[in-house]
Amino acid sequence: MLRTALLSAMLALAAYAAAAWLTHDFQVWTAEGARRLEVALQPVSSPAVEVDGPGIGPQALPQYLADGQSVTLVDFVYTRCQTVCLAMGSSFQQLQRALQERGGQGGPVRLLSISFDGGHDTPGVLQAYAARLSADPVLWRFVRVPDPRGTQRLLADFQVVVVPDGRGDFEHNAALLVVDQKGRLVRIFDYAEQQLALDYARHLAGAAAPSP
Amino acid sequence: MKLPAAPSRTFLAGMAAALLCLLAWPNVRHGLETSMTLHMLVQYPLLALAGYLLAAALPHRWTARLHLWNAHGISGLFAAALMLAILMIPRVLDLALVDGRIEILKYLALLACGAAIRLSWRPAGLLVQGFFLGNVLPMMAVVGNLYETSPLRVCNAYLLDDQARLGQMLVWMAAAIAAAWFAWLVRTLMGRDAAGMTANDEATKPATH
Repeated sequence: MLRTALLSAMLALAAYAAAAWLTHDFQVWTAEGARRLEVALQPVSSPAVEVDGPGIGPQALPQYLADGQSVTLVDFVYTRCQTVCLAMGSSFQQLQRALQERGGQGGPVRLLSISFDGGHDTPGVLQAYAARLSADPVLWRFVRVPDPRGTQRLLADFQVVVVPDGRGDFEHNAALLVVDQKGRLVRIFDYAEQQLALDYARHLAGAAAPSP
Repeated sequence: MKLPAAPSRTFLAGMAAALLCLLAWPNVRHGLETSMTLHMLVQYPLLALAGYLLAAALPHRWTARLHLWNAHGISGLFAAALMLAILMIPRVLDLALVDGRIEILKYLALLACGAAIRLSWRPAGLLVQGFFLGNVLPMMAVVGNLYETSPLRVCNAYLLDDQARLGQMLVWMAAAIAAAWFAWLVRTLMGRDAAGMTANDEATKPATH
């Protein structure tokens, strides 16, 4: 009986340790929660994949993101999308409006939609999509990753999981990604938290602005 | 309620090995992991079944030694309850898909879970069995309810309707297992009553193994 008690106590300790590791000390229960927490604790550099889009010639993604002064709000889209991306589209439209109204107050913030459907979303298609959403190219750009392997690498690094939903659409963990002036992914917000994401991006842009 | 000792150990071990090989076969593994429902309600129980068969195939000498550490099946059922609790955390399902190490640990934990249940169920007796089920089944129902009612996907790799269906089935399964065990409990107790005083004395002793 003593041995049973001892073994049970050890099992309880082991299970506690495993659960604590799995849930980041009981803070998160889902992979998405863990992803957001990990990014906040340890920024993720954007991978050097080649992107292109309307008005953006082929170049490495970090080269575009790390311009040294602006903070970028990034989302992932595909233009054939009829569900979440429409919500994302309107969320980015609202962010664009907020940026237009308050100008560069608090430092430059810009928007970037990255398509993960690079085969279909050529620069021409993205151009038409941008026009449909009345995107202002000064504030809001669209790119795709032409190479499918590049897309896979970008999605893996930023932990974006894309699942075909069996009806021709894709389900993905849509969110607002804040990328700092050095091209590092520093925070992930739910797209319901767009005001928070905007304030955070502005703060980040403003904090770094006076130094150079 | 003793099972007939018909299948030989070699046969059970062979069955367990065959089942495990089948579940570890990449195509089968990917197939079962395409849906959250298949992942949790088919792959999980089949892995536990493989562990159960494996434990049934263990030589008597080994199980006797294990029972020194597993009085009344307490540590075994406790371990099974803990492992099931951890394996129902949604992050495990997502991690198992992208991290091979987690996938291997998940397989081992489920095998151990089935083996622990096999080694501990009969020694446990009604009280410990009831305690085990009283923990695991409500947990299963609560997790199921959470999956069913959550407006958000808890796993990045799975769709919302899949998650809701899994949740619903988890709740039903918890209820069905509880009902089946209760029916078996009533039958056992009535059998004991009918057998009278002498049999009653027998039944209160810890089960022999």
